[in-house]
Amino acid sequence: MIQVDDKPVTWHQGMTIADLLEQMEGVGFCSVVRLNGKLVSSPRFHETPIPDGSIIRLLPLVAGG
Amino acid sequence: MGHMQLKEIAATTYERADVNKGYTDQSLHINLDKADIGITPIDTAIKEKFIGGKGYDLWYMWNAVKGTTKWDDPENAVCISAGPLGGTPGYPGGGKSIVTAISPLTGAPIDSNVGGYFGPYKKFSGFDVITLTGKADQDTVILIDGIESNIKIFTASDLPDNSYEMSDALTRYFDAEKPVNVSVVTAGPGAENTYFGCLNFSWYDAGRKRVRYKQAGRGGIGTVFADKKIKAVVARFGAISMKTNNPADLEALKTVTKTHAKEIHELDPKQNRMALVGTTHLVPIMNDHDCLPTHNFKFGSHPGAAVIGEDVYEHIFDKGFDGCWRGCAVACSHGVKDFSPFTGPFKGTKVFVDGPEYETVAGCGSNLGIFDAHTILEINFYCDAYGLDTISVGTSIGFVMECFENKLITTDHTDGMDLSFGNRYNTLELIHQMARGEGFGAIVGKGIRQMKQIFAEKFNADAAFMQDIGMESKGLEFSEYITKESLAQQGGYGLALKGPQHDEAWLIFLDMVHNFMPTFENKAEALHWFPMFRTWFGLCGLCKLPWNDIVPEDNKQTEEPAKVKKHIQWYADFFSAITGKKTTPDDLIAMSEAVYNFQRVFNLKMGYGTREHDTLPYRAMGPVTAEEYESRQERYDKQLIEKYGMNISDMDTDTKVAALRKEREAQYEQLKGAVYERRGWTQNGIPTKETVKRLGIDFPEVLEVLEKNGVK
Ligand code: SF4
Repeated sequence: MIQVDDKPVTWHQGMTIADLLEQMEGVGFCSVVRLNGKLVSSPRFHETPIPDGSIIRLLPLVAGG
Repeated sequence: MGHMQLKEIAATTYERADVNKGYTDQSLHINLDKADIGITPIDTAIKEKFIGGKGYDLWYMWNAVKGTTKWDDPENAVCISAGPLGGTPGYPGGGKSIVTAISPLTGAPIDSNVGGYFGPYKKFSGFDVITLTGKADQDTVILIDGIESNIKIFTASDLPDNSYEMSDALTRYFDAEKPVNVSVVTAGPGAENTYFGCLNFSWYDAGRKRVRYKQAGRGGIGTVFADKKIKAVVARFGAISMKTNNPADLEALKTVTKTHAKEIHELDPKQNRMALVGTTHLVPIMNDHDCLPTHNFKFGSHPGAAVIGEDVYEHIFDKGFDGCWRGCAVACSHGVKDFSPFTGPFKGTKVFVDGPEYETVAGCGSNLGIFDAHTILEINFYCDAYGLDTISVGTSIGFVMECFENKLITTDHTDGMDLSFGNRYNTLELIHQMARGEGFGAIVGKGIRQMKQIFAEKFNADAAFMQDIGMESKGLEFSEYITKESLAQQGGYGLALKGPQHDEAWLIFLDMVHNFMPTFENKAEALHWFPMFRTWFGLCGLCKLPWNDIVPEDNKQTEEPAKVKKHIQWYADFFSAITGKKTTPDDLIAMSEAVYNFQRVFNLKMGYGTREHDTLPYRAMGPVTAEEYESRQERYDKQLIEKYGMNISDMDTDTKVAALRKEREAQYEQLKGAVYERRGWTQNGIPTKETVKRLGIDFPEVLEVLEKNGVK
């Protein structure tokens, strides 16, 4: 199990951030997440595995300076 | 240095105007030629049209200068205003000052939005706007004392020459018992000796018992200030509360303030954590999206970025409340204590560094190939203390380094310094030289536009190549984002009134990452709406960050998440509560549009403000060199084939660079046309008569400028 924005989500072996977002609705805005405190951006979503028990936050649209 | 001496040469007492619904309706004018102090009421019609803040600054500056005025003419006016909402304690971002002048870099109006307490203190002392004109013949300090209701002008001697010590000394001089009552605006030696001098606006950090400051960085307003021989302007005022603005509806003000602040307290820890890391979270994000300027904007990412972002600064920043305005819940103005520089006049001492923010890390770090958090802190410290804009410093030195690596300039021109990318020690030496106005640093301190000319004329450097890689537009150095893959942000920079600063529009992610604006019309709409809305913060004396850097949890479900409409409604409520004018979100845009177009006409009055001035160096649009192209070959090849339908099998890299360039330059021109049309401008980029009439800025002098430029 992992926590995504404070809600439990079922985890599976080999799950990447891209996999997670594909199974969620209304996340088209999401280009950055915080995975266990570390920032991960969309170009790395496919290559970034999610460890079981992770805490993930989907960051809002990047607004720049 | 001896003991600081201030000798009073002019003084006046005045009856302090009460603040009524956010306004004092009074303006203060100080002419340094004769040490003259004048106070005049602000016309109601001007108030209706220009709102305050940047609007007031531009109006008073328009009346002070002629079309032929140069930045160092005495009539050039440094104007400072806080806006009607400025000075609301507890409202996130509720205390900014907006400063304007004719810029030494661009020759046109420049504006800067800055924290610190000066703007609100000045307003509560009785003045919505101050103008500083003329030139003193000796170093001068100006005091606006809202507690004693007097204004004094002093000649000054033996002041510390750097802003860091000067801000502290003057704060304690004018109120040793209650330093929190004082805010000081200072420049520094760098402002005297370069064209990109900044102004430092202070506040007293009661928790740390030290003077802190933020910078009005862009466009060399500090240089104008120093040219007038003003060392400092000081505002002094006592206790403030939500009542000090005398709002029309105190209860409504309390409600909206509490609502916005509560949301930030709850959501910032879950979102960008700005209360912990400031804007340094942007470093890894920009790096991962290939948007972090690296080696003079040549590339957008570098492995070294990992050690200059939030992961590092979170641990270096001193813990404590870091609002540059009282009670700002975002509290993102962090600093580093007990920092020990390894060069320059403060070498080996312990200092407090205010910063760095993202722009400084990117401009003075990755853009220079410096991936070292300590060196970036030292550059940040000296730029502030000297009064230098870190963005222009970083972007200018990046240009110099690329010229050096391409042998356009050599050690014969740089006083023997190796200025290759990554040379930390010589970067710092160059900054010390800039501040002293000596050696090669004196040339760099003139900014990229002048350097291009000097390098071509004196060093026989390749002018066309420098035009492509010199990251300036309208004479102003670029702020720190790579725009090659975002046409909309190319417009955000190229069409910005003052030059390429991102405060008008930041569209990179909407455009490049999410493709939310696929057509020219979509982009033109964004390049209309965002600059208009963002201008509103500057009219009212507010900071933009609390608008869209922390957003409601349900924002993603709204129709246009990028606009954060819930917050816009809160801003309309905020405006209504203070001023008593029932205001809708659409009204905010209408307020801005008038001032925005007025500023465009002001550019025109100064000899700019047409299509030819909205140009970009090609590096902002695409790869200039084969090296750049090949570093992202897959991306560019794909575009040539899929987007432009070319057969590239027989093309070498140089041919591909040229083919891509032709397409990208054409699309930028097409974008300009679409934006001009959306804004109600001619295809030469000038507001039409109908537009200025619709916006109510069809004053005779505005129409005269339009007519002179062929708009009948
Ligand atoms: S959001 Fe940051 S920069 Fe803006 S007023 Fe607050 S502390 Fe200052």
